[in-house]
Amino acid sequence: MACLSSSRLCARVQDKLLCQFGHKVRKQTVFVKLKPPGPSPLRIFGKTCQRVTTCGPACGSGGAGAATAGLVRRLASSLQSTSTGSLPDYGTQIIDPYRLLEDDLNGIYEDIRSELEKNTNQAELNTIATYYFDGQGKALRPMVAILMARAVNYHVYGENSALLPSQRQVAMISEMIHSASLIHDDVIDQSDFRRGKPSVNVLWNHKKVAMAGDFILAVASMMIARLRSDDVTLVLSQVVTDLVQGEFMQLGSKETENERFAHYLTKTYRKTASLIANSVKAVALLSGADEATCEVAFQYGRNLGLSFQLVDDLLDFVSSAQAMGKPTAADLKLGLATAPVLFACEKYPELNPMIMRRFGESGDVEKAFELVHKSRGLEQTRFLAKQHGAEAARLAAHLSPSAYQRALLLTTDLVLNRIK
Amino acid sequence: MSLSRLSALRSGLRCNAVKVPSSTMISQYWGPCDRRELSIHSPRQAIAQHNTKPDWNRAVSEAEKIVGYPTSFLSLRWVLSDEIANVALHLRKLVGSNHPLLKTAKNLIYNGKNNMQAWGLIVLLVSKAAGHSPEIPDMEQDKAAGVLHSQRALAEVTEMIRTSHLVHKGLVNMNARHRTADEPDDMMFGNKIALLSGDYLLANSCSELANLRNQELVELMSSAVRDLAEAEFLGERDDQNNPLPSRPLPQEQRENASEWDCILNPLPMSGVIGSARREWAARHVLAAGALLGKSCSAALKLAGHIPGLQTKGYLFGCHLALAWQAFLDLEAFTGPEPASFSLVGAPLAFTLEARPELYSYIEAGRKSVHEVDYHALYKAVLEGDGIEQTKQLQREHIATACEVLESFPNCDARTALANIIVAMQQDHL
Repeated sequence: MACLSSSRLCARVQDKLLCQFGHKVRKQTVFVKLKPPGPSPLRIFGKTCQRVTTCGPACGSGGAGAATAGLVRRLASSLQSTSTGSLPDYGTQIIDPYRLLEDDLNGIYEDIRSELEKNTNQAELNTIATYYFDGQGKALRPMVAILMARAVNYHVYGENSALLPSQRQVAMISEMIHSASLIHDDVIDQSDFRRGKPSVNVLWNHKKVAMAGDFILAVASMMIARLRSDDVTLVLSQVVTDLVQGEFMQLGSKETENERFAHYLTKTYRKTASLIANSVKAVALLSGADEATCEVAFQYGRNLGLSFQLVDDLLDFVSSAQAMGKPTAADLKLGLATAPVLFACEKYPELNPMIMRRFGESGDVEKAFELVHKSRGLEQTRFLAKQHGAEAARLAAHLSPSAYQRALLLTTDLVLNRIK
Repeated sequence: MSLSRLSALRSGLRCNAVKVPSSTMISQYWGPCDRRELSIHSPRQAIAQHNTKPDWNRAVSEAEKIVGYPTSFLSLRWVLSDEIANVALHLRKLVGSNHPLLKTAKNLIYNGKNNMQAWGLIVLLVSKAAGHSPEIPDMEQDKAAGVLHSQRALAEVTEMIRTSHLVHKGLVNMNARHRTADEPDDMMFGNKIALLSGDYLLANSCSELANLRNQELVELMSSAVRDLAEAEFLGERDDQNNPLPSRPLPQEQRENASEWDCILNPLPMSGVIGSARREWAARHVLAAGALLGKSCSAALKLAGHIPGLQTKGYLFGCHLALAWQAFLDLEAFTGPEPASFSLVGAPLAFTLEARPELYSYIEAGRKSVHEVDYHALYKAVLEGDGIEQTKQLQREHIATACEVLESFPNCDARTALANIIVAMQQDHL
């Protein structure tokens, strides 16, 4: 029986690899999706069986999912005979999380697009709504969500664990909520470029763009509801509330100098970190992890999110417009005082009145830009980002060691060292 | 203390709306807006509306008593929240500008016929009329009003979603590339505030819905938000996204079927565009009927009713909304000739279908609906039988809504709903 099933699965592995191979030949980047369909949580075990046995006959050890992935990839690369040698062993070394999750992330934008397309019969609405789901984004949020999902699943179920379809849905939802907020931000900030192409508000009229944002949120919200989990719905509805409140906070700058930094951090949490924190919490809830583990996931996401945004604010001062895909010093031009400015303020108090008038007078933006570079503001911002990154890494260390858990650790570095 | 103050404020506002001579109020506030934006109610229309109010108002205020205090959240959470206090501050800066957000805000406060409150009210009346399953614990009931707390929360969500949509619809389209002197900063600022306020309401309805802990309900109501967004893309639009009717199809290509049975799927569009009746129905099902219908259906779901009755609730809301829309469309043609009127109203749609050559008048409005010769179209509508056909359309929708009403037990809430429907018809007879 075991023999029978393993040979069947072996054939499946070969199919899979050949498939991959075939796709590789035709189109450089496309891999077949390995995600089986269906919503039942039991499938953790269903899929696990498959994974373990696929590994069994081929490598002679009941290795972990990661080992299997490594093996599959090694086989794949040898089949393609394009690689310079065998890839590193994922069991012991740290690898790029995007590569580790290639199969899970593959087709995620297509899936989002088809979900949106299913929900409208108005062609133009579909065009606007799918505009930012062109696969050019970093897909950081889905990546972190899936990574956490696999790490927590491993933590709870051990090596016999796999990604739940519902968890992948959360990954898609997180990217959709993010895009919906980007689309509304574009209208609010009147930005011309995003992700290296004209932003939506340049191409379509504002009413339609606003409606497209509402539409994406509505579809995401329907997807959330279809997961049929009260807790997940509550957690993710918090994200939407936070996003709006963060946006409101960005509108006002009445606070005193002392409150300013706290205000900035709260705003950063609400606008950026909440989405990451709550979506990783949602995947932990879906995996059935205990409260403490869910909290670890949440805090990891919160710290990673804060670190991410701090770096973002930093890059707005140092990166070139070309690398970012959007104009730099954009925050100053919008009248926003981010961490580098707030830090610089300590050394150059003349920044205070500029902050209060939201860099509204001519020359303010250039002057502030220069003072930030002269101060230690950028350095201090990086330090704070590092601290949050380190805290995230410390939290990830609470989870059982696995390739995914190590990738969570690596992600904190990726976020810190990114250049765009 | 704060509660009583607020309710006093609210009733004060209402009195004002009635007492202040409407023409001065309108010219004072709306005058400058007319240049930029076509208002749904032109001044003369608003006066006509004013004269026909009593029956309507009586039906609504009687109905409000039946389900307890006025349903609107405007008086409470809206005024008390930090975010809205913030918005109110910013709104003040906009006074004097022509941003339509001010108009939207005014429409929310003054109880026009198109008011928000009535939507939540209908959801509550349907809730009360249908009753609820005996298994629902006492704790979850508002015994005095005869509805569930969850249904009241749902009624609020309905109002929030509708308001959010109206606020987002009130954005001004500005050309990001070529900003001109006509589009100053306060327009941009107004857009920002409008977008955020709408988002705030949408976010609040998300969390209110999540708190009801009923995922089928969340899915249903989210699909209503989706429908509202879709509504803004149906058919042709001018530069400010004001809707224009589509060119009527030749007789032989018209289809008559109308299907809204698959509630969760987006509304099918095949054969809709260019067929007067269906295009009108689709447009207003998306823009209004879906939300009211889905809310009624959701209220029955919360009460533990069988799916069959939930579907009936949906149909009731949908047909009521359409009857209501037909009523609003007719209003332009009952009083003195208005300066402008809805180009996608049923009377004009029927007239265009009968006389396709009139479509050239519509084409003049491609850039802006203000360019349309309303007088010529008005005359054409009066000459044809568009008004009669619209009345017939309204009667049909009312009949279907009343049919559903029959399936509820006879009670004060059912009577109140019937009265609202009657008030809607009477005004034209």
